[in-house]
Amino acid sequence: MREKSTSHEAVESLRLDLDKIKREEGIIGYILRSAKSASIDIKDPSKIIDYATLSSTALKSGENISEVFGLGDVSSVVVEGNEAKVLAMSVGGFRVSIFMRRDVDHNRFYEDLHLE
Amino acid sequence: MDKDAYTVALKNTLTEVRKICPDINYSFIFTKDGPVVVADEHSANIPVRKTVDSFQSLMEKATTIGGLHNMIVKGSKGNVHISSVNGMYLVIATSENANMTYIHSIANVIVPTILKLLKSIVPTPPTPPKTAHSQQLTVENISGFFLGDTVQVDKEILSQWSKDFKGKGVNEVEVEAFGGKVVQCKVKAISESRYEGKGLIRVPEKVARDLGVAEGELVRIKPVKS
Repeated sequence: MREKSTSHEAVESLRLDLDKIKREEGIIGYILRSAKSASIDIKDPSKIIDYATLSSTALKSGENISEVFGLGDVSSVVVEGNEAKVLAMSVGGFRVSIFMRRDVDHNRFYEDLHLE
Repeated sequence: MDKDAYTVALKNTLTEVRKICPDINYSFIFTKDGPVVVADEHSANIPVRKTVDSFQSLMEKATTIGGLHNMIVKGSKGNVHISSVNGMYLVIATSENANMTYIHSIANVIVPTILKLLKSIVPTPPTPPKTAHSQQLTVENISGFFLGDTVQVDKEILSQWSKDFKGKGVNEVEVEAFGGKVVQCKVKAISESRYEGKGLIRVPEKVARDLGVAEGELVRIKPVKS
């Protein structure tokens, strides 16, 4: 898990990582949320609110499901549709959601963001 | 084969799958409408209602990504895999060390094959009715004494919804903010022409406060059928 000296630096660092990921093939965009702010970079701006609500609902559903089945702290939630999928997770206290085509390997991004 | 036999066959399937894969703690199947069709012997007492409710709200949002096919929740003590199988949803809860590739095969190959076989003998549950389309709009504040909690949107949107509801007018909408807050309020057409056709939703201050949104932010609205 990341340890950064300040929250601002942590957000910036995470945003840089996400910008790198966004350039990869098949990535639709990302949402990075902290308690006070949100960064959104989605290829189709007309769908921003749809992606945002999907992202927050996915994390909330993940927490509810974890509570029911005693899964402990939720490390990631993946929601796959017929066309695309979202990887939603907590990284160093920030909520990150990466949207991508369904055939993209999301595990790679999960590991990248948690190992750095 | 009648419906009871169908249930017994599925229950046996889930129980047998659990025997060959001891990492599975619970497994059950529910329909899109909510009722649990069948659960393995060990899952009878778990509070599945909460799982189903959570999943149903997610199902609605997942239209953005082409519906909901799979959901995987990874936790520090275990995982849950939920898969769409022949119009129903299979839930498998495992320990943290379970081989997820194996679980994926069970969820996406073995159980669907069995369900397909059973489907040819017994009809599957009905699918829920389709709902009218939601809209993404930009917030424009509106103030005044007599506004109450009524939001204003383009009349074209109201006409379209009315068509979707076979001529029945829409008087209330559900407004959802970026942060997930939802408010249900009255709706009418935008009264001032200079705000028309711009993809705006004119929101009274109180409603904006309840939603936690400011002018210029995006919200999503959908009609509430009266």
